[in-house]
Amino acid sequence: MSAVEAPFEPARRPLSGRRVRVGDRALELVTASAATAALVLVALIAWKLVAGALPSLDRFGIGFIWRVAWDPTVSKLYGAGSFLFGTAVTSLAALALAAPLALGIALYLTELAPPFLRGPVTALVETLAAVPSVVIGLWGILVLGPALRDHVEPVLHRTLGFLPLFGAPNAASSSFFTAIVVLAIMILPIVSSVSRELFLSVPRELKEGALALGTTRWEMIRGVVFPYARGGIAAALILGLGRAVGEAIAVTQVIGGGVAVHANLFATGDTLASKIAASYQGATSDLEIGSLVYLALILMAFSLLVNLSAQLIVRRISRRGPA
Amino acid sequence: MRKMGIVALAALAVAALAGTAAALASKQDSTTISGAGSTFVAPLVAQWTQPLSQAYGFELQYSGIGSGGGIAAITSRTVDFGASDAPLSPDQFAACKDCAQIPWALSATSVIYNLDGVKSLLHMNGSVLARIFMGSITKWSDPAIRKLNPGVVLPDEAISIVHRSDNSGTTYNFTDYLASVSTQWKSKYGTGVAVDWPTGSGGRGSSGVAALVAQTPGAIGYVDVAYTLQNHLKYFTMRNRSGRYTTPGLKGILAAASSDQKPAKDNSLSIVDPPKKYAAAYPISTFTYVIVPLETSKAAELRKFLFWAVTKGQAYGPRLLFQPIPKPVLVVAEQTIKRIHPSA
Repeated sequence: MSAVEAPFEPARRPLSGRRVRVGDRALELVTASAATAALVLVALIAWKLVAGALPSLDRFGIGFIWRVAWDPTVSKLYGAGSFLFGTAVTSLAALALAAPLALGIALYLTELAPPFLRGPVTALVETLAAVPSVVIGLWGILVLGPALRDHVEPVLHRTLGFLPLFGAPNAASSSFFTAIVVLAIMILPIVSSVSRELFLSVPRELKEGALALGTTRWEMIRGVVFPYARGGIAAALILGLGRAVGEAIAVTQVIGGGVAVHANLFATGDTLASKIAASYQGATSDLEIGSLVYLALILMAFSLLVNLSAQLIVRRISRRGPA
Repeated sequence: MRKMGIVALAALAVAALAGTAAALASKQDSTTISGAGSTFVAPLVAQWTQPLSQAYGFELQYSGIGSGGGIAAITSRTVDFGASDAPLSPDQFAACKDCAQIPWALSATSVIYNLDGVKSLLHMNGSVLARIFMGSITKWSDPAIRKLNPGVVLPDEAISIVHRSDNSGTTYNFTDYLASVSTQWKSKYGTGVAVDWPTGSGGRGSSGVAALVAQTPGAIGYVDVAYTLQNHLKYFTMRNRSGRYTTPGLKGILAAASSDQKPAKDNSLSIVDPPKKYAAAYPISTFTYVIVPLETSKAAELRKFLFWAVTKGQAYGPRLLFQPIPKPVLVVAEQTIKRIHPSA
């Protein structure tokens, strides 16, 4: 840089070294304060959540976390048990549903699709990520829910009904199952676009080397692409899981509400996020508001846990290194 | 769509607030009256903004953040008034310190259903409705429903119950009614903006409930009345204590509200299931409340605004299916408004 500047600003040359250092200092300061601001923000949110949850923390203590109850009128007992259960079931099942699809899409787009298709299909999948969740939720109520209820749930119940998971379908179209499918659709584009980038980053020599050794495409994918991208795929899946755990609006629209822990996926329930979204606006008593903030605190801790374990998994997998 | 409209209105209001914030800063601060709370009453309050500014030069700022949020905001005095669909509980009154609630708008809840081949305006009464929502009547062909509807062929279909999954004044009104007609409902589930429903699926907002009812054959649900009429849903005529079946229109709401029930000492006033002599009354009608501090630095402005709201402001209601509040309630409201005084 100074080599270019030198001919034009000879008089300032002695200063320029110091000026650069000042700039560096400024940059460091600005970026450091940005980083601190993020930290402070998280700390403030956590503090505010604890303060807001106090009425409920005082009343119910730690037992709140596993108690299954939410009765603002008669017994005035609150608990997070069924919502934690709902969050875990819906997000894990959505991930299980979305992961193979997303990886399939990513593989097809990077390894198998004819070149003229790759651009448009990639764009389409990514458009899915841009659809606002409230719109997906609305579509969930009006189109997906009834379709699942009329065509998918009865079939699953008839063929796999011996499993408690596939009990009697709910006549109204809202259920855990609808929420799971909606969530799967919502996390599909994230997981697939991150994995697509990962698969693209696999060095061409490795892939061609494998093919040259006479492997089939599938053997090449299994032996080269997957091991190389292992850590990244895990991270992509966790990203998807994080999105599913935190999604509130679309889930509130299709999950149907309710306070119960049951194995039947076709029954209604609530997740932590959907319960907060549904009840916070109209909550009237201090205890109910406190309990909702307590739910938010649990949700934050839950997300933090998911993120931390994700980082651990990614670190462990990448330490093993590409095969 | 009404709830969505409200959300859109709220968003617009916020945008407008942000836009006018700078302009306001230069104006005299005392001409701004800020409020927050019930989304249900938000469209009505929005109608008031312009005429109030013309009449008194007041800048009315209202955020539809929900009844609970409104109560919290007035308790911490971050706004000049709060608005709630459910009356304050004694605890909330204590926390709010020297607050008063004033009934300032009046509307109703309708019970909707989805039955192919059956016309709108089926007959229903309170005890059968409570038994349906408690899950003890499960079929449309149940003798109890058939008895109310002689000559109507009711299908042998299961009843699917749909309720609100979010907290709402509509749920308060509806459960207040169920609790007043069924002691079993009262003791087991009570009255509130949300209750521990024995059965059924929840929809988010009136639009969510209507959507679920619309595509679930055999469904029954409840939404605020403006929503029903705008969206042409099938709804019940409700049997009142005089034995008549009434529709949730302005006439029925007015009849229910003009019953001689006096507001309680805290000004709360439940008009569900009114006495027999109000033959035209629709039995699931409700007041909604404004909550104000009795001692405030803006006493003069607040008094002017509230007097206007409970008198001239009521004229903006009927278009939105808010029935103007009746005379006896108006008297009580005005008495309370007069008690607002400047801080010493």
